[in-house]
Amino acid sequence: MSGVREALATRRIAVCVGPGGVGKTTVAAALALDRAMRGARALVCTIDPARRLANALGLSALGNVESRVPEHKFAEAGLRPRGELHAMMLDVKRTWDDLVARHAPDPARRERILKNRLYQQMSSALAGSQEYMAMEKLYELATDRDYDVIVLDTPPTAHALDFLEAPDRILDFLGNETARALLAPLAGAGRMGLRLAQLGGGYIAKTLARFTGQAALADLGDFLQGFQGMYDGFKDRAAAVHALLSRPEVGFVLVTSPSPVAIDETLAFHERLHAESMPVAGVVANRVTPELWPGGEPLPGAAELAAAAAAVGAGDGAFTARLAATLAEHQTLAAADRLALARLFARLDVPRSVVPRLETDVHDLAGLARLGARL
Amino acid sequence: MHPATLLDRRLLIVTGKGGVGKSTVSAALALAAARAGKRVLVCEVNAQERIAPLLGEPPAGGTIREALPGLSTVNVTPQDAMREYGLMVLRFRTIYEAVFENRLVRYFLRVIPSLAELVMLGKILNEAKAEEEGRPRWDLVLVDAPATGHAVQLLRVPSALVDTVPAGPLRRDAEWMQAMLVDPARTSLVIVTLPEEMPVNEAIDLDAQVRGVLGIHRAALIVNAMPETRFTESEEARLAALAGEPPPLGPAAEAARLQALRAGQAARYLARARAAIDLPTTVIPLFPLARWGREAVERVAGALAAAPAGRGA
Repeated sequence: MSGVREALATRRIAVCVGPGGVGKTTVAAALALDRAMRGARALVCTIDPARRLANALGLSALGNVESRVPEHKFAEAGLRPRGELHAMMLDVKRTWDDLVARHAPDPARRERILKNRLYQQMSSALAGSQEYMAMEKLYELATDRDYDVIVLDTPPTAHALDFLEAPDRILDFLGNETARALLAPLAGAGRMGLRLAQLGGGYIAKTLARFTGQAALADLGDFLQGFQGMYDGFKDRAAAVHALLSRPEVGFVLVTSPSPVAIDETLAFHERLHAESMPVAGVVANRVTPELWPGGEPLPGAAELAAAAAAVGAGDGAFTARLAATLAEHQTLAAADRLALARLFARLDVPRSVVPRLETDVHDLAGLARLGARL
Repeated sequence: MHPATLLDRRLLIVTGKGGVGKSTVSAALALAAARAGKRVLVCEVNAQERIAPLLGEPPAGGTIREALPGLSTVNVTPQDAMREYGLMVLRFRTIYEAVFENRLVRYFLRVIPSLAELVMLGKILNEAKAEEEGRPRWDLVLVDAPATGHAVQLLRVPSALVDTVPAGPLRRDAEWMQAMLVDPARTSLVIVTLPEEMPVNEAIDLDAQVRGVLGIHRAALIVNAMPETRFTESEEARLAALAGEPPPLGPAAEAARLQALRAGQAARYLARARAAIDLPTTVIPLFPLARWGREAVERVAGALAAAPAGRGA
């Protein structure tokens, strides 16, 4: 079966998804670099890169701005790309602000929303906000720019569902007509003047206020009021994003490590993508312990190794005993990884790349190029 | 003042980057506490349950279940916690159902930022402070907290609410919860990491946030899966050449070369974590096991017992 690199060759958008801590960001960057090497104008959009990787890509602390990886960085790495590599870091708050600015009917309304306390909390406090904005930014990049290929890294999600459900959940929140109508009297009212009894069914409202307090409801009312008339724009946009994701030019890349927990999460992701008819282009099994000894063959003992070492004039008994123990340990870990991956591949019939645990962390373009070659 | 040990607190929060082994460490700490005669509750926070399965027991779900003698587990979800909290505030099931089954109310409860976190944390802290017949219900409540960013979000909810919510029931709850979280006699936190670049970076950031933003007492840094230094420098220098030999020597030398390389990198990241994080550090060796289950938890518990973190300085 072919690797992930070939499977993505014809796609314009690659979305890397998977559990935290498996090297998703690095894989995303390596995929974009690979396309740039082969002549494409490629962009990688990262979420939270390691500092050294960010430096390697020439990313500054400033988020949401695309910048081209300069020629000299390639020259230093001994690489001669036929295309261009661009990189950016997602800024969730800025993406929200841009979205509001785009849909607000006038500057006053924009300011009203941007100043609302609930809105300000939203980017960090509302579950799924980061996922929603990652999708939103992807749509903007895919429609307003002319990259040949865009590779999107995604936030590590606790639940596979968050990723695809977040936009709907947040839109449901923004667009609840009943809530807006009921909270309308509270919006803009002074806190002292609040009359929760106006909140239809005074009994329920009073009970609710026992949980949230009135001020929180007033903030919410003001916020929903501010969004009035903008909801349709948001909704159309989210629908367009969803439609974009199911187009054949898009490929989701599942990235995982061989840890059983990561495998479970990856399988859950895959099921979810499959249920939504999202195109899965392939799976990358990263950080796999390489097999060094043929499966089924008995491992060499210390004596056998000592004899072999003596034949080349190397090592004493204690040294070769440690070699034997290290090989046995290594093979135990390799066997555990092999079993875990067998479970993954039994249920995932898509192009796959198995990447051995690399000898050093990938933190420069040369390292990314080596990783890319294995995809 | 007595040197407080990790397991002497009422509430112990375990956190770190995703994939560093928080659940294994939580399970091992719980096992150690239960064996010391404590009644222990381990709370997972709206997670795919791992603690009970790691101990070889069925998942508990939303209801507290005793997995092993003295060791109970529960998976705290927003739905269950909201229901319990609602019943506590309203006192009557019929009223709860009348109110909470209302679609509009459900909408509000879902969208008020941080309410889900508040009720989940509220349930956990309630368990930690509950008294029965004049003594604590649990000697130790252990939280297998979400990964770094989500954990900080969860743990800062009480202080955020104290700052923003006017007087009222929500505020009163937030106040006692915050008081408990920042009380070093009752609550402490351990940071788990791997001796690798990203986990260590995240541990350092997390440590700064716990000190600067959360103000929760920090007890220990636990560095998990540390490969041992097995070969001397001169031996390591020979391994690359030996790796080119035919089997059996070549593959064995290659395994050794990779082990030595990894151990060297791990030692550097361990040193970096130690230099940047001013906490007692416990190092758990890398255990080469074919399956990660009860045996792994036992081995980690053994390593923790051999080098108890949080004691002395």
